[in-house]
Amino acid sequence: MKKQLRLGSGSGFWGDALDPAVELLEQGSLDYLSMDYLAELTMALLQRQRLKDPSLGYVPDLTTHMRELLPLARKAGTTIICNGGGANPRAGAEKVRDLARDLGLTGTKIAVVEGDDMLPRLDELLVAGHDLTNMDTGEQDLAALRNRIVSANVYTDSSGIVSALEQGADVVIAGRVSDNALYVGPVMHEFGWTYSDTYTDRIAAAITVGHIVECAAATTGGMSSRFSDMPNMGRVGFPIVEFDSNGSATVTKLPGTGGRVDEFTVKEHLVYEIGDPSRYLMPDGIADFCKVKIDDQGNDRVRLTNMAGAARPELLKMVVGYEDGWIGEGMMFFPWPYALDRAEKARQTLGERFERLGLKASAIHFDLVGVNMLHGPASPMPDYDPSEIGLRVAVHTESKAEAEKIRRACAQLWIMGPGGTSFGTPMKPRPVYGVWSTLIPRSYISQTVEILEA
Amino acid sequence: MTLLRDIAYVRSGDKGDVVSVGVIAKHPEDYSALLRSLTAPAVKDLFGDWITGAVEIYPMDNIDAVVVIMRGALGGGATRTLRLDQTGKAMGNGLLRLPVIKE
Repeated sequence: MKKQLRLGSGSGFWGDALDPAVELLEQGSLDYLSMDYLAELTMALLQRQRLKDPSLGYVPDLTTHMRELLPLARKAGTTIICNGGGANPRAGAEKVRDLARDLGLTGTKIAVVEGDDMLPRLDELLVAGHDLTNMDTGEQDLAALRNRIVSANVYTDSSGIVSALEQGADVVIAGRVSDNALYVGPVMHEFGWTYSDTYTDRIAAAITVGHIVECAAATTGGMSSRFSDMPNMGRVGFPIVEFDSNGSATVTKLPGTGGRVDEFTVKEHLVYEIGDPSRYLMPDGIADFCKVKIDDQGNDRVRLTNMAGAARPELLKMVVGYEDGWIGEGMMFFPWPYALDRAEKARQTLGERFERLGLKASAIHFDLVGVNMLHGPASPMPDYDPSEIGLRVAVHTESKAEAEKIRRACAQLWIMGPGGTSFGTPMKPRPVYGVWSTLIPRSYISQTVEILEA
Repeated sequence: MTLLRDIAYVRSGDKGDVVSVGVIAKHPEDYSALLRSLTAPAVKDLFGDWITGAVEIYPMDNIDAVVVIMRGALGGGATRTLRLDQTGKAMGNGLLRLPVIKE
């Protein structure tokens, strides 16, 4: 058994850069490259694509990325693990299998991990009378939204990935497994860990480290408060983890790449998008982020020790996506002098136009761009005459036709509005998907794995 | 007046309609000032009607940081909010406007 694993973080979101992942495969001597593509909203978008065309629903980047990455990964002996299967892992895996054949990589084993999609069983869940309370809002009546629901996916644990690796997969294509399982899976597989008490703290360590690196450049200088000090961020290196079998780890990156790994880049991401830091709940376990010791060893190497946690939870998070009307948006900019006064008058004028157009909206929101758009009520008003100020309006409506009225009303201000106003290109209405997060018993989930051979 | 901007780094993001902010002391000796300054009432007062739920404060002694959880703070969550900052990425920096409370 290996004493240490090398894992790379190859993607932090759908749309992330590909060149750092290429560099990791070329120079990283990695055992695994883990790639996260999904966010809360993504599953609803992908499920919609699948409903329109059953051969779609995986992340479109999957095939373009694999065309570049597969030959390099096969050459380096690196296994790729991703959730790019999205709402249709099987279709994604079939595409990647065909691609591997085209590339002459016959024999490549592509694993499909399924079992996170609860849409086919949603009615069964509703009828069974499970408490499906919305974790965010406390709302209880999910059934009332039934005819608007487009997706229902459970954040699953790494057992499907582990099983795929046991079967010799070269590429693992999963759907809505937790981002974190992309890292926990290979570690549990290689070190032979199970969910018994013996391994609880070590699994918690893998969860902690997975959390720290899963957003790729976010641990190597991206998003940093010290961004202005970060070298060559345009050719940033993505993080590498050296994970030890005793449950400690080092985070680093390739020499010569941009960005930095230091005490603060790691701390900044440890605290990112979490709840109670002493109970970071993942399907594979619960990590206590209040115990980890972070030791900056210099030269882009940060050592993580003393990681601990608790056994995996019995309930898993299910995210239900539903159609929730439309958003219409508009934006315009006013020049000095008296830009703020012009913005205020334009806002008033838009309000009158909305009335004249008979706008039916459930919410109307205005921002003064350059003043309070990002910090809202926390923002002070300028005590000088600014060079320019923008006005942004966003409106929630039931129908697309109502949302179109925003575009129309904003365009009407081209001549009806204040002199000197700049409008840019009008924005199209966009559909809204609501997200209903709830918990369901683990017993509902059974992941399946199938190997497709190129 | 010293602001949190002067003593802390920050990173923020979303989970549903919750904005989660990690505030990290630049120097260990400033951690106690972070704890004094980042109180739930101070945070609610700063963002006013942008926060409709509770604010929770979680100290992390091991890394001289504080996690601030703001519930009902994203205008309905990333997918539904009418704000431009759909995931609350900028709100963490907003917290740095708070004054540092002296001992």
